[in-house]
Amino acid sequence: MTHPIVIGIDAGGTMTDTILVDADGHFKIGKSATTPRNESEGFIASAEDAADAWGLSLEELFSGVNVVLYSGTGMLNTLLSRTGRKLGLITTKGMEDMVLMGRGLQAWADYSYADRLHAVTHQHPDPLVPRRRTHGVTERVDQFGDIVLPLYEQEVRVAAKKLIADKVDSICIMTLFSHVNPAHEKRIAEICREEIQAAGAEIGVYASHEVRPVIREQSRLNSVLIEAYATSRGRMQLKSIEDASKKYGFKYGVQTLLSFGGLTSINHPRLHETMISGPIGGILGAAYVGKLIGNDSLICSDMGGTSFDMGVITRGQTRIENEPLMDRFKLNVPTLHLDTIGAGAGMILKVDPLTKKVSLGPESAGSDPGPICFARGGTEPTIADCDAILGRLNPDYFLGGKVKLQVEKARAAFKEKCADVLGVGVEEAAEGMIEMLEADANNALRRVISGQGIHPSEFTLLSYGGSGPLHLAGCSRGIGFKDIITFQFAAAFSAFGCTTADFMRRHSVSTQIDISSKASDATLVSVGEKVSEVWRDLATAAVSELMADGHARDKITTTPFLMMRYTGQLEDVEVLAPLPAVTSAEEMQKVIDEFEQVYAKVNHRVSRYGEAGYSITELGLIATADKVKPVLVKRPLGKSDPASAHKGVRQAYIGGRWHAANLYEMDDLKPGHEVTGPAIIEHPATTLVVHPGDQVFVDEWTLLHYRHS
Amino acid sequence: MTSYSKEVIADLVSGKLPWPQTRRIMSAYKDDDRFFKYIQVLQDRVGWSDPILLPVSDHLFICDSAEGRVTKCECGHSFGDYRRNWKLAASIIVRDTEEALREIYPNSDIPDPQWMEIREFICPECGTLHEVEAAAPGYPVVHDFEPDLEGFYREWLGRPLE
Repeated sequence: MTHPIVIGIDAGGTMTDTILVDADGHFKIGKSATTPRNESEGFIASAEDAADAWGLSLEELFSGVNVVLYSGTGMLNTLLSRTGRKLGLITTKGMEDMVLMGRGLQAWADYSYADRLHAVTHQHPDPLVPRRRTHGVTERVDQFGDIVLPLYEQEVRVAAKKLIADKVDSICIMTLFSHVNPAHEKRIAEICREEIQAAGAEIGVYASHEVRPVIREQSRLNSVLIEAYATSRGRMQLKSIEDASKKYGFKYGVQTLLSFGGLTSINHPRLHETMISGPIGGILGAAYVGKLIGNDSLICSDMGGTSFDMGVITRGQTRIENEPLMDRFKLNVPTLHLDTIGAGAGMILKVDPLTKKVSLGPESAGSDPGPICFARGGTEPTIADCDAILGRLNPDYFLGGKVKLQVEKARAAFKEKCADVLGVGVEEAAEGMIEMLEADANNALRRVISGQGIHPSEFTLLSYGGSGPLHLAGCSRGIGFKDIITFQFAAAFSAFGCTTADFMRRHSVSTQIDISSKASDATLVSVGEKVSEVWRDLATAAVSELMADGHARDKITTTPFLMMRYTGQLEDVEVLAPLPAVTSAEEMQKVIDEFEQVYAKVNHRVSRYGEAGYSITELGLIATADKVKPVLVKRPLGKSDPASAHKGVRQAYIGGRWHAANLYEMDDLKPGHEVTGPAIIEHPATTLVVHPGDQVFVDEWTLLHYRHS
Repeated sequence: MTSYSKEVIADLVSGKLPWPQTRRIMSAYKDDDRFFKYIQVLQDRVGWSDPILLPVSDHLFICDSAEGRVTKCECGHSFGDYRRNWKLAASIIVRDTEEALREIYPNSDIPDPQWMEIREFICPECGTLHEVEAAAPGYPVVHDFEPDLEGFYREWLGRPLE
């Protein structure tokens, strides 16, 4: 076996997954519990697990690889635990309370349905900057960028002096319509820097138009606050990962994943763009697998301990969410769109003693204390306990035997807290709980597909995550997918996806360009000029950032894009520009035609409505630089009998009775093999349950295709 | 089933429980033994030993005393039989002039005293403000509620009163 060239590591809320890939596309994966306080511990433990599997020492591993990719939770934890920097804020006079008022949905976002309905549970997230350190200054720029009121500089000086005296770590600046005309923000920043210098203090200054010059002041404010608040500790965490890698001989800089699907060095100037990165890897991996199997309509579904994330690629198009939520703050960060429901193997099960109503979660036992069967102090029964009780999880082979599952302990607790309360047998109750979880996920998948307006039979379902294959059969049953695929490296698929990403920058600005359906050629030309000018500026900025990261100019490609809608609509469509610049009316028409095509693909042909005219709300540019990527190896199909991977028989409870299920070692399955249920295909990091009558076929890429009977 | 320690309930009652924990309790199914733990916490707080049967407001309780079931202030002052409106035995401030209303709303709009008055019910012994009601002038003192103690204990708590 050759030496790995890429290490991809994805630290989730519960587990840290590692994938090692060599130039020929061989994989090994490792797994370890996430260590939120010092992520580098979990990082090294997980890397060591994978290195062991490859038969390497950590030194041999790190000294030989070219790329280390890490996506972690450090910044998110800083935000969740409110342990970030001390901030001050200068804003337009009259807007000082916007931090406190926030957006209404921030008071209940991420809540369960029941809690959303019960307003008594609603609570705004604690503000990142207190009201007393928020200062308003007189100034006003209107929506066209015209200065209505000049900046009262004296007020800025007073505010800056006050914040310096308050010993803040950073001063954030957010004024209205600074994305159209940043003159006032720039001047405020200048004055702050002068005052800071005069006071001999060391204080960072963050202006919202530099972080992201995009419309909607609440999200822009949140973005600049979070950048100032959370990223310095996040940077430290990433630095500690880099130091740990270098300690074992790694020669280059560690890379991390951007929420819109690219890689960047840990010195990225807007690090909050990497906060929502974990699940993004899955979509990238799905796009990669889609190319292999020749289907560009894919649903990727990731089930871990806590959540079930679903991403959609519709006829090659991924959706970008422009205002995602982060710890219940609306942000202005473009993010690959994911739908998430609370459903995972760590879900805590509850039965209401009065009504006998069963509810799953939304709380998860996480990795600490974890399910009861981990015997680490967990006392609440979880789905994983049900899986253990029903013989679907191997008590001696969880994480390859590193955790011995205490089935009897789980069984006793589950009997007392759930089965007895419901008045049914333990197995029946446990299977019922699992079916509820799978039904939730199944419904969520149906909902996501029906939102695409395309028949499910066009879609291939990719199932991954530590618990994805375990519950795959129930999650996918009856939907009628074209194909259902899971992976030997299912547990590390997100990490795998990260390794398929390129180095990337994405810059954009809000615009307000309306083009009537009857626009004259002269109008189209002038719009084209405006658009090209913005793209030129963005290209300069993005390319120079990538070059600062050490990429050669000739390795960098730029693709401009537009966020467009029919005039009067509320949602944008992202359109990759078919041309690098627009110089004529025909070329502008080409751009508009491209929008119409994308619109028709994402929605439906007949839903186009050019009569309304077109609006360009945002202009942007993506700059990418190539990177070595893993390749999956194609091998010839062998015989269908999987006897070489057979490792025994275990009793498993499926469909209301015990079966003698055949056990297979997942890594020993070869292309061509066919497994017929009842069977359980085991891997140290994941388990695939094959229901009676269902089949699993291993194709030439060693992807596992699940076929319902 | 779900159950919390008396310390947690005490913090909850006094408002000292951190918000995330409070919300978890709010979102979970009600703990079976909450009421009795709650009563214990209140009993520890008051300086007298007559058993509390039902809290009426933050500092006012129905308790079992030597003179029968009475409404009692935290300070020990008795307002008499619980079936009778305790407000009638309280000291009352009626704010029915602009001047009196302005005292409590110095910076905002005030109701028209010809249409609405504010009545404050105060313990004559310790001065605790137990209740405030807003009513039209001339409207009788509101009897907020007369609890069915026997029914509540028998049917809801499953522990009938002797």
